[in-house]
Amino acid sequence: MTKHDPALIGAALAGAERALNQAIRLAPTSHRELEGLVGTRLGMEISSFDLTLFVEIVTGPEVRLMNHCEAPTAAFVRGSIEDFASLATSDDPAAVLINSGIELEGSSASLITLQQVISRIEIDWEAPLVDALGDVVGHQIAETIRGIFRWGEGARISLTRQLSEYLLEEGKLTPPQTELDHFFDAVQSVSMRVERAQHKVAKLLAKAADRRTGQ
Amino acid sequence: MKEDIADNADDGTTDFGFTRVNREAKAHLVRDVFDSVASRYDLMNDLMSGGVHRFWKRFTIELSGVRPGQTVLDIAGGTGDLAAKFSRLVGSEGRVILADINAAMLEVGRDRLIDTGAAGNVDVVQADAQALPFEDNSIDCITIAFGLRNVTDKDMALRSMLRVLRPGGRLLVLEFSKPVSPLLGKIYDQYSFQILPAMGRWIAQDADSYRYLAESIRQHPDQETLLGMMANAGFVDSQYHNMTGGIVAVHQGFKA
Repeated sequence: MTKHDPALIGAALAGAERALNQAIRLAPTSHRELEGLVGTRLGMEISSFDLTLFVEIVTGPEVRLMNHCEAPTAAFVRGSIEDFASLATSDDPAAVLINSGIELEGSSASLITLQQVISRIEIDWEAPLVDALGDVVGHQIAETIRGIFRWGEGARISLTRQLSEYLLEEGKLTPPQTELDHFFDAVQSVSMRVERAQHKVAKLLAKAADRRTGQ
Repeated sequence: MKEDIADNADDGTTDFGFTRVNREAKAHLVRDVFDSVASRYDLMNDLMSGGVHRFWKRFTIELSGVRPGQTVLDIAGGTGDLAAKFSRLVGSEGRVILADINAAMLEVGRDRLIDTGAAGNVDVVQADAQALPFEDNSIDCITIAFGLRNVTDKDMALRSMLRVLRPGGRLLVLEFSKPVSPLLGKIYDQYSFQILPAMGRWIAQDADSYRYLAESIRQHPDQETLLGMMANAGFVDSQYHNMTGGIVAVHQGFKA
């Protein structure tokens, strides 16, 4: 369990849970995908805030967010808030799990499915937070959450670009795309020539065999 | 051990807020208070706590670790907010018992459970926490939220809860407690004795009942004292979690 006040964490989780479930109800595809995960529990430790949270998919299907859970989890992930924001907004969560600072214990399958469902739905963070905490505080917290996700998306794009530049320019670890395309075209051309030559050789060998039998 | 001294006094009296009353009289006086506030109990809880009581209860439910098929007893369950949540968690195979000594509170709770669709796996029972009318070793989890301080003999109630719990079963006591910061304690005192009765007068037209609520909170054992009482009753692995700076604490104990 975290060292934070459980009531404070509970307030934040209640708002997030309501926003998520509202969005899931309005997204039939996500609804169907989550049905397959009912009963699954995931744990996450956000090192930036020294915070441990749990997600459980319950009948509905709905997402239940918890500050405390004693039941076994299918997967447990640890990372910074930036890592989790990148994971939440990524088109390729498996790659983020491998390449980011996230540590994973257990199976990644249910985590990836949940990430894909959540990344596709449009979550209105503001409405439940305003309902729970009032206009001023609710709006400010919703803005902060949106900022974290914008940062996560920006960080993902920036990381992809920087990684690409490093592999191509700094590390010279991989040739540029055009050079690779040219290389693959040349390989294909050679392959076709070899194939044609094989056919010609086969044809010549057949002719030679016919001549020998004719003599 | 302030509470022990209060309840074990030889003169046969106990506290009712800051007043000493006969032990027999306390139950009637508490009943009068809750008869008076029952219809507006939830509204007042929201106003008095700024809605935070929902998060205190949410954490208590998380701590319960209740699973489908289990039996949960919610003592002093009043208007049934915890019972409604437990009803979903235990599912159709499980059972939730909403118990309260006060008929008016139970009536509000039963109506609300029906309104929220929590039916089929919930029983409503008028019961005294000191003499629970259930079989030994029959309950997986017991919760008592903001109820223990109103019980005349808390030690007797804890022993009764231990009796009906299954071995390995869990008791959760959610109750007002002692703020950990002296500054917060002073602010809280001002709020409890000035603002709270005024709110009771304006909204529920009943300042006296809300003054009793504030006084009973101060008379309730603090975190460590209640932990000791649970150990004396026979609970093991007991611990507590402070919430909102110790204004509220949830105590947890198990039956060996």
